[in-house]
Amino acid sequence: MKNVKLYIATLMGLLTGLFALSASAQTAEYELDGMIFGMPEAEVYTEDYDGPPVVGETITLLPNLAPLTYEGNKHHEIRLDTFVQEIEVANGVRYRAWTFGGTVPGPVIHVREGDKITFTMKNRSDQEVSIVPPVDGQAASPFLQQVNENPYMKPSAAVMPMPHSMDFHSGTVAKNDKWRTISPGQTIQFDWVANYPGTYIYHCGTPSVLMHTAMGQHGVVVVSPKEGFETDEKVDHEYVIVQSEYYLMRGQGDLYQYDFEAAQNKRPSHVTFNGHANILHQQPLTANAGDRVRLHVSNNGPSLTSSFHVIGAIFDKVFYEGHPFNETRGMQTVLLGASNSATVEFIVPEEGDYILIDHEFADAEKGATGTLKAGPKQ
Amino acid sequence: MMLLNKLHRVTTGILVMALALLFGWVDSVSAQAERVWIPDGSYHSLFPETEGEPLQVHGFYLDETPVTNSQFLEFVQNHPEWQKERVPRLFAGNEYLRHWESGLEPGNETLSEENRPVTRVSWFAASSYCEASGGRLPTMAEWEYAAISLDLESVQEWETLGYELIGWYSSVDAGDLREVGSDDRISRFGVRDLHGLVMEWVEDFRPPIADDISFDCGTAGRLQSDETSFSYARVIRTLTRMSYTPQTSIGILGFRCAYDGDRAKAGDQLKDLSER
Repeated sequence: MKNVKLYIATLMGLLTGLFALSASAQTAEYELDGMIFGMPEAEVYTEDYDGPPVVGETITLLPNLAPLTYEGNKHHEIRLDTFVQEIEVANGVRYRAWTFGGTVPGPVIHVREGDKITFTMKNRSDQEVSIVPPVDGQAASPFLQQVNENPYMKPSAAVMPMPHSMDFHSGTVAKNDKWRTISPGQTIQFDWVANYPGTYIYHCGTPSVLMHTAMGQHGVVVVSPKEGFETDEKVDHEYVIVQSEYYLMRGQGDLYQYDFEAAQNKRPSHVTFNGHANILHQQPLTANAGDRVRLHVSNNGPSLTSSFHVIGAIFDKVFYEGHPFNETRGMQTVLLGASNSATVEFIVPEEGDYILIDHEFADAEKGATGTLKAGPKQ
Repeated sequence: MMLLNKLHRVTTGILVMALALLFGWVDSVSAQAERVWIPDGSYHSLFPETEGEPLQVHGFYLDETPVTNSQFLEFVQNHPEWQKERVPRLFAGNEYLRHWESGLEPGNETLSEENRPVTRVSWFAASSYCEASGGRLPTMAEWEYAAISLDLESVQEWETLGYELIGWYSSVDAGDLREVGSDDRISRFGVRDLHGLVMEWVEDFRPPIADDISFDCGTAGRLQSDETSFSYARVIRTLTRMSYTPQTSIGILGFRCAYDGDRAKAGDQLKDLSER
């Protein structure tokens, strides 16, 4: 009797699924103004996968950006699993973060304008996933190699099963299909085309989105322009800087935890570059006097603005949102709203220290600073 | 009040047991949880379809605490088809009872101690357990009604509980759950552990309206029924539950059972018996 009931329930479930499948309108692929739209419907399924959580040749740990060594366009197969990781965000401050790939912000994905991306993500939040030694399959992405050499957030695996999703600002798709929420144990796969150049954030889009992003689920995709920037040949160093806020309070034991009240009232406990209040002082960016440095700067929020400035330098060129047509010259500070970015270039005038800073000083004093250390002129 | 509640629970337990014996309701699960009577009432759902209209809930019995590992062990002993080595994947995800050492051994790890709530059980397994106990999973309306029937005295108390709950959703450690019944907060009707121990299955965890609700950056605020953080916590709970599939088996998701019944009639039955 019981089994009969179960089978009926399952059958009904399957029928509903079939109906949903046939009822969804899927726009076939088409071209418009040289761009490609209309991606196949996302697939949600379960798989036994427990391999490397970050897979892709051009995925790196902040502040690194992988070089694009291929000509023209490429079809990328990228995996970024979502799972929980206890991490350090300032000296003595650790919490169990919801992550993409195990760090906050998540890995930097680098592609070229016009590239197609087949993206896969498994929700492994009910599973312990380690990204530090000994880790098998480090070769799966530069990110895993870099985080193993330099685990600056001192990550350790934790389990906190929650539903999650992925929203790439660099993709132009229907969010109710591609950005849909999957429960722990499920995998989602979908395609998107990098139609516009620029630096775009990605984040979890599952409500409460404020909670999911403040808990750590965000990162950036850098889409380099097809024809490049006119300054490409002159650039000596290229780095990625992501600003973001944490809203933490003391929790049980030594751990910190999410402070909902502070998040709702936009009162962060920490504002950081690359996820850690001290990292860019402990491990400064490097260059030499006379170098041209390019920074892809993104303000991932979730809720505040950034007035990005480099003490001792003037931005020779600013490409707002990282698009080569959005060129501005001679800027002291770039204002970035939540989920805005800019590609900035400056000449390092002389040997010495230069401070990257959010010129909204309350945020600077909560951690949003870093150092660029310049050596002698070559 | 506490004493009354306790008395209430004891009487309820006796009544249900008597009834169960009378009608042979209890299939094979003997380690019964205490059952608590939830009287008729109404409450406001978070869903737009019922905005302004209170949702009616008819009286029913609800387990005082969530089902424990030892209770679930007894169930799989009597229903071997639900042991983890045997259960078809169609009815339970890969992670079904992952923390148990084997189909019949919860093991002695912190997570599996007998009085901790059983987790990593699918909706199918939970439904089957409740059916074997002579009951069913509570509906979302029943569960929510029982859960929000708290005797808190000020807005500040609701706020505090809300913050606590949101803190729990964003920091719960699936590897270190408390024992059932260890929560001091008891609902108006004597139910325990409704907040901050585990998420719980309900019969209609993903109602049809789920398809009409846009999951986006504004959803949590849009569904809030009032400005309190408690309401916000309810939204998180509801949306999280709606994202599950019937196979979902995860470390913070357990269940308790509900039972149809009529408290007045049950009382009459017992009275008849004693007069005979």
